[in-house]
Amino acid sequence: MTVETPTGTQKETAPAPSARGRRPDLTPLWLLTPAGVVITLVTLLPIVYLVYTSFTNYDQKTLFTGEFRYTGLEQYTSLLSSGAFWRSLLRTVLFTAAMVAGSMVIGMAVSHLLTRVSRFWRHTTTVVLILAWAMPNVASSLVWNWLFQPGYGVVNWALAQVRVFGDTTSLNWAGDPALAYTAIWLLIVWQAVPFIALTLNAAEQQVPPEYQEAARLDGASEFTVYRVITLTFLRPTLLLVTILSVIWDYNVFNQIWLFSGGGPGDSTSTLGVYTYKTAFVGFQIGQGAAISVITTVLLLGLTALYIRNLLRSGEDL
Amino acid sequence: MSRPRLSNVLAAIFCLVWVFPVYWMINSAFKPRSELLTTSPHFVPYHPTFDNFVTAVTQANFLTNLRNSVIVVSVTVVLSIVVGIFAAAALSRFRFTGRRAILVVILAVQMLPGTALLIPMFALFNTANLLGTYFALILAYLATTLPFSIWVMRGFFVAIPKEIEEAARCDGAGTWRILVSVLFPLVGPGVIATSIFAFIAAWNDYLVAYTFMQDQSRYTLPVWLASFTNPISGTDYGGQMAASVIFSLPVVVFFLFIQRNLVAGMSAGAVKG
Repeated sequence: MTVETPTGTQKETAPAPSARGRRPDLTPLWLLTPAGVVITLVTLLPIVYLVYTSFTNYDQKTLFTGEFRYTGLEQYTSLLSSGAFWRSLLRTVLFTAAMVAGSMVIGMAVSHLLTRVSRFWRHTTTVVLILAWAMPNVASSLVWNWLFQPGYGVVNWALAQVRVFGDTTSLNWAGDPALAYTAIWLLIVWQAVPFIALTLNAAEQQVPPEYQEAARLDGASEFTVYRVITLTFLRPTLLLVTILSVIWDYNVFNQIWLFSGGGPGDSTSTLGVYTYKTAFVGFQIGQGAAISVITTVLLLGLTALYIRNLLRSGEDL
Repeated sequence: MSRPRLSNVLAAIFCLVWVFPVYWMINSAFKPRSELLTTSPHFVPYHPTFDNFVTAVTQANFLTNLRNSVIVVSVTVVLSIVVGIFAAAALSRFRFTGRRAILVVILAVQMLPGTALLIPMFALFNTANLLGTYFALILAYLATTLPFSIWVMRGFFVAIPKEIEEAARCDGAGTWRILVSVLFPLVGPGVIATSIFAFIAAWNDYLVAYTFMQDQSRYTLPVWLASFTNPISGTDYGGQMAASVIFSLPVVVFFLFIQRNLVAGMSAGAVKG
């Protein structure tokens, strides 16, 4: 993934702002230089360095002495033979699937709901969605800690009132894998639904009503109209939003870190948390870099798919 | 189109459930300590008080951390706009070899996992003795905000009709003159939207600040917010909720400001939940 700063050659396509019939216009080159320098410095160079350190034994000692040596594929072979890594990968895949499925289903339902409510509720729901979306995830994670706090948390109190689960007052959500996953899943879904619902709703409003009317006249049920007509129009947007959700949820870090710290043990250590712990708690930089490289490579396919779809959906590059 | 009542009821239920965490944060922020730790929660503060807010802002590190946040965020926003606007202009009003490739790279780098940049930057800044400096944070934030700013502003540039440019050219204006006097003023709304996006990204960051700054006096507000959590002496939830309100307020206000652009400009992978 390297990029050359563009050579300022310019095809003489019509109304591009270049003096006609003279040497190539160098303006875009000058315009791009500052951003090119910054992006090279803060993105491309670090990526190259990441790959490089993943082939070395860069660790805590190195941070002080600056000494490290080339170890070839050692970091990768030790990773691929480590149970912790595979468990973490499996957790990430399953949890991502659960988060994406949850937020997509609710998001689609809310998007559709928005097309069928009174103006007042449409407005109110939009404001509520934006509130949930706007909360910085550090703040929402800490609010979650308080909602699920064992002893005085309002969630435990509410569950205790239902009287189905017995006395849940001191239920420790962060101390049990299944409970921790549930709470984090709720948090992620709560914050992810607004983007999905509002984006889909914007697309859903573009569906030509004639099609839906025609289907209703033919006696189709509301559900059939949605499934056959609306979903057909929504497909491109759905695909884009799903890919983005997968990428974001796969990379979730703050919420897990602040709610359960990846625990109890390492039962909620998804790849992000596992990488962070390796690189910044154990300071095995080389090992952490290797996990990051693998994570990035796994994401590249999705990213390519996303960009291809973005280009197709009318983004003219 | 008929609007069945059931939909409104469902919307009402959804709103109640979805707004609850936000409501609970605000509700808890105004409660005295005695009301926070009750066996049955109070759904409104019986004796509302500003004590938690006072506790939060008189915390030892609040002012220094606030200052750090303000400095780092403003420099990040200004650089994102100044550096980004030129690149956005180049990528929208000109045609040249390699343009598509650059756009693809700009999109792709936004999809990188956080740790992919965090690890090498940490190692490089450590070597350069820059850990704990504003400079390190600003560079790390630019990695996120600059590509995104370029992408968003480019969208605004593309929307400007060619005729305006041609008219200026007929009046004898050169390429730079057209850029600065004609095109830049027209993307004003784009600059505002981009500033807000960049602000939110830098203001909300917890991970980079927590990893790079390594000292209480150098942290930014998100780290300060998390520092209320104390498993040993017990977390001051009232203070933390008040701090969360203070911290979230500017973001929520800005969000409402740009909600029009949100959905439109969001498909480029912007503000993460």
